[in-house]
Amino acid sequence: MSIFTAALQVTSSDLTTYLYIAFFGLLFIVQFAFGTRLQSYFAINEISRGLNKLRVMKDKARKEAIDYLINVGKAAADPTQRVDQFLDYVTIMPVDIDPSGLVGKIDHVVTTNNDRVRSEVGALLNQSNPVTISISENLLEVATSLNQIHKIVRHYYLLGKKTNSYFTLVQLQMLMPMIIQEADALLNATDSFRMGQPVGDGIGPVVVSKLMAGKEKRVIAKDTVMAVTEYKGRKLYVLKADGPMAYVGQPGMAIQKIIGEMGVKPSAIVMIDAALKLEGEKTGEIAEGVGAAIGGIGVEKYQIEEAATKVKVPLYAILVKQSILEAITVMRKEIAEAAEKVGEVLNRVIEEKTKEGDEIVVAGIGNTLGVAQ
Amino acid sequence: MMSSVPGADKKSKLLVYTIEECPVCGQKTKRAFSVGDYVTKESSKCPKCSNSTRVSLVYAESTKQSG
Ligand SMILES: [Zn+2]
Repeated sequence: MSIFTAALQVTSSDLTTYLYIAFFGLLFIVQFAFGTRLQSYFAINEISRGLNKLRVMKDKARKEAIDYLINVGKAAADPTQRVDQFLDYVTIMPVDIDPSGLVGKIDHVVTTNNDRVRSEVGALLNQSNPVTISISENLLEVATSLNQIHKIVRHYYLLGKKTNSYFTLVQLQMLMPMIIQEADALLNATDSFRMGQPVGDGIGPVVVSKLMAGKEKRVIAKDTVMAVTEYKGRKLYVLKADGPMAYVGQPGMAIQKIIGEMGVKPSAIVMIDAALKLEGEKTGEIAEGVGAAIGGIGVEKYQIEEAATKVKVPLYAILVKQSILEAITVMRKEIAEAAEKVGEVLNRVIEEKTKEGDEIVVAGIGNTLGVAQ
Repeated sequence: MMSSVPGADKKSKLLVYTIEECPVCGQKTKRAFSVGDYVTKESSKCPKCSNSTRVSLVYAESTKQSG
């Protein structure tokens, strides 16, 4: 028998029953009227804790960049002010309402920015070691990213609070663990960068550097080197970013040059890259596929697809699975040990898909910090 | 109801090693990483045949097994 029917049957003498009804009624009203406000309160609390963590992280990354510039880079003057200007520097992406030729414009803006970063960092340091300059660039990039993340989260937090928007706050609360995880990965990356250790993303360059060892190298695009080698009667054009600097190079431009300017007619392009694993997948697992295996904002991918489509060359991909944290921090044993297996897969792909006398382009994609050739 | 935010210091310690490989006899040696090491760098003499070895890999191992 429910409490309501009971209340109807029992006469006014039963005071406790009325109290019960009043209590549950009140609870219902409170829940109805203030439920979301209560939830918002919890959300605000949790976001503000996360925001604090983000603030500590971005300050740490900034400090590490400054320390590196002073201690290793031997910065002539105190770089603090320049670094702070750096963190707020914006790159304005080209307009996309008329998309024809957009990739070229994006490429232009991004290249301008990259050149600016390098020249400014170079001017800041009292030495010209390219490894130190490239590491400084990467450390500043990490500090900038963390600064951006903190700013954006803070924006939505304050906006949600100001407008009392339950849904803004709850959405932010739900995203917070993922945001913190990504920020944490970025902060951890600074340790590997400072030491000049290869990162997980450098697995492509590691595999390819073995093919280039002892061969004559030439610069084929900005920060990108190429060597010609041979495998079972096939001629291989092998390329990677110029190590051991923390470069990613311009593999798109390089492949365009090999096919265009050099007039090479490859019968296959094989790209080796790190790929984000899904939760539950094993680190260091190798996957094969077709298509241009390269991340970034899409300029390189576009250039490679263009070049390959123009001459109808198949694109093959060999991928090594890893998490975002593993990709930007020091290379894990499981990933490093995949290098040998990737080499075997590469040989098999070449043997299966091409014949003797063919020309093949092999590209090791990724950050080549700590991996020379 | 409430999701928890993972801590920033919740990582197992990683030790970084440099693997040197002799191009002549294939002897591999593993030592602690030192700043300035990079893959393909010419390194110490091979303990077996005293040719100079090259760094073939640099990687990190978790102190906890399968971390
Ligand atoms: Zn030897």
